[in-house]
Amino acid sequence: MASATDSRYGQKESSDQNFDYMFKILIIGNSSVGKTSFLFRYADDSFTPAFVSTVGIDFKVKTIYRNDKRIKLQIWDTAGQERYRTITTAYYRGAMGFILMYDITNEESFNAVQDWSTQIKTYSWDNAQVLLVGNKCDMEDERVVSSERGRQLADHLGFEFFEASAKDNINVKQTFERLVDVICEKMSESLDTADPAVTGAKHLPTPRA
Amino acid sequence: MPVRPVASWPPLAGVAVVSAEMRGPPGNPPGHAGFPSPTARPPPSLGLVRSQSPARPRPLPSQPVRPVLRALTFQTVLQGPEGRPGCLPGTVAPAPGSGNVAQEQSALVGLAFRRRVAPVDAMAVSPALLFVDRNLLARKQNARLDRQNDLGWKLFGKVPLRENAQKDSKKIQKEYEDKAGRPSKPPSPKQNVRKNLDFEPLSTTALILEDRPANLPAKPAEEAQKHRQQYEEMVVQAKKRELKEAQRRRRQLEERCRLEESIGNAVLTWNNEVLPNWETMWCSRKVRDLWWQGIPPSVRGKVWSLAIGNELNITHELFDICLARAKERWRSFSTGGSEAENEDAGFSAADREASLELIKLDISRTFPNLCIFQQGGPYHDTLHSILGAYTCYRPDVGYVQGMSFIAAVLILNLDTADAFIAFSNLLNKPCQMAFFRVDHGLMLTYFAAFEVFFEENLPKLFAHFKKNNLTPDIYLIDWIFTLYSKSLPLDLACRIWDVFCRDGEEFLFRTALGILKLFEDILTKMDFIHIAQFLTRLPEDLPAEEVFASIATIQMQSRNKKWAQVLTALQKDSRDVEKGSPSLRH
Repeated sequence: MASATDSRYGQKESSDQNFDYMFKILIIGNSSVGKTSFLFRYADDSFTPAFVSTVGIDFKVKTIYRNDKRIKLQIWDTAGQERYRTITTAYYRGAMGFILMYDITNEESFNAVQDWSTQIKTYSWDNAQVLLVGNKCDMEDERVVSSERGRQLADHLGFEFFEASAKDNINVKQTFERLVDVICEKMSESLDTADPAVTGAKHLPTPRA
Repeated sequence: MPVRPVASWPPLAGVAVVSAEMRGPPGNPPGHAGFPSPTARPPPSLGLVRSQSPARPRPLPSQPVRPVLRALTFQTVLQGPEGRPGCLPGTVAPAPGSGNVAQEQSALVGLAFRRRVAPVDAMAVSPALLFVDRNLLARKQNARLDRQNDLGWKLFGKVPLRENAQKDSKKIQKEYEDKAGRPSKPPSPKQNVRKNLDFEPLSTTALILEDRPANLPAKPAEEAQKHRQQYEEMVVQAKKRELKEAQRRRRQLEERCRLEESIGNAVLTWNNEVLPNWETMWCSRKVRDLWWQGIPPSVRGKVWSLAIGNELNITHELFDICLARAKERWRSFSTGGSEAENEDAGFSAADREASLELIKLDISRTFPNLCIFQQGGPYHDTLHSILGAYTCYRPDVGYVQGMSFIAAVLILNLDTADAFIAFSNLLNKPCQMAFFRVDHGLMLTYFAAFEVFFEENLPKLFAHFKKNNLTPDIYLIDWIFTLYSKSLPLDLACRIWDVFCRDGEEFLFRTALGILKLFEDILTKMDFIHIAQFLTRLPEDLPAEEVFASIATIQMQSRNKKWAQVLTALQKDSRDVEKGSPSLRH
């Protein structure tokens, strides 16, 4: 599917209102766990070992189809440094999904997961869906966090779990698609139970709009 | 088997490759003229070395480029089975159109480099340019040599299987080297760049115009005529192209000369008039104008230093002390010995360590395209030193992402200690302090002040942003934290810095408005996410002149109030209204 990112100046789809749903998704986690790489792999299918560190926030948009619905994903890629948290947590509001990422070769980034999860609970919408992702699973030799520990922590926190590699393109697309599915499930659930009359995108909590 | 020497087979064979294919199969026995056939055997001897070749390895074909492979396939046609002089792969020029891949690639490399390190930024770029130029010269000489040495060529022969072509060419190269007694040089894409400006397509006429070997059936006159015509058309086209290209290059050269001359004059003025009389001159009209044009790279560091000043009175000795301390910490950190002497201003050891670790991670993520800050790169340690020393100098601020870009830009223009002095003083300015300490309330005040001028200058776009809930923090955080060095091409960023040093923080926000204005038309057509995406990744080819022309139209005056007045008023308001630090507004 053509994405508007292809053409900077052209921006054919730039004011594209032709979508059924819009999901705001945030990628969070410690610095240099590979958030930006993960996002670029997904949105542009590219990888470079030479990414610059994210200052503040980066954005990508991607439109996908799910069950005959056009879903526009607003993906927010946040800076990982602790110091920026006061800034970045302000952006949690209205996010429908989170990809909480750690680096399987970095124990500290894994230890921080609990903390990040608390941040989500504190600053985001109650129904926000979270996926835990252990990135850089291509670097098996340097692994310090076993899959088992990752899975256990995810279970404990009530998140779904993936190990992925932005570099080798493992589980990247799957992660995003699973997150979208989970959000869709949650959405139809709440639509069914809470307010059966509501339909269409208008009533979704479209962030910042 | 008749051997037909062809008088000249110069290396500019771009046209020839195509003509070989265009000849097409009519009348061609299988396995001839570049069309691989399953029945074709490789020629009996492939170790063909030009008998008269000087003992001088010629450039190898640049790697993966496909057209070269195609050319090679054809090339082998030219090598006789009896081991007559053949053509080395290196002499194959790229085919027209697709064949310029190598050239384009290296041009891209050059561009990529230049994008970040400006042509104006001569200091950083000149070694690379020199390198390129030297290579091009070498290539040129090679080409000339080739021409002289081309005594005779065998035209038609057996064609090897296409799959073999590459291997065969390697073999040829190998044997050639064995004879020449020189190790092979690694192929460089640059070496395939054809630079000679004589634009005569020196291709072979042999394939089209010369008689065919006796063992092939004669071409029908009609076909021969057609081929001749096609060939001539191609030559005309190629000539036209090359002529155009030459004219373009000449214009470019003239443009560059003009630019260099004006830079040269500016350097003189700065060195002879301004710098010796800094205190009296710097705020004069003339200097201000000169300043706006961009400070020449050779005096840029000096001017920045003077303009930023040294309010903090940092000496080189102080830098050495801070650096020594930082080094001590790195050592204790890396050996696992925690808790050095000082318990810094309420920051936990973990936070400090994280900060040290982060510096390490971020250094190589600073201008990665320049390849000078990477591990092992020439400025890796310098950048590490400055950031480390700063965390010791200001432990209350520590390292914050974005700083590495600022330090890097300074390093590119100043010596280490002076860069540190400029860095510390720069970060000590109120706006930078507010941001790097992530003082939310104050940051919001800056954003609010920015919005006042935004509305004043670009009311339509301002309304559009409001409608889309696009708050300035979305794009300003990155721009202000890194002083545009991450989001703009480096040469342009340096010019922004020039005027920022002159005008202060106000200019950072004026620049933001200039950029917004430049893209106003596009931005008004975008929705939230596209605007955000666009502004956090600005187009890579922003021309400096356009940006500055746009900035020049921005008035930093709102109802007779200047930036500082607006800011102060807002600060007072926010102090009056509430004490609690609000989170970023949405």
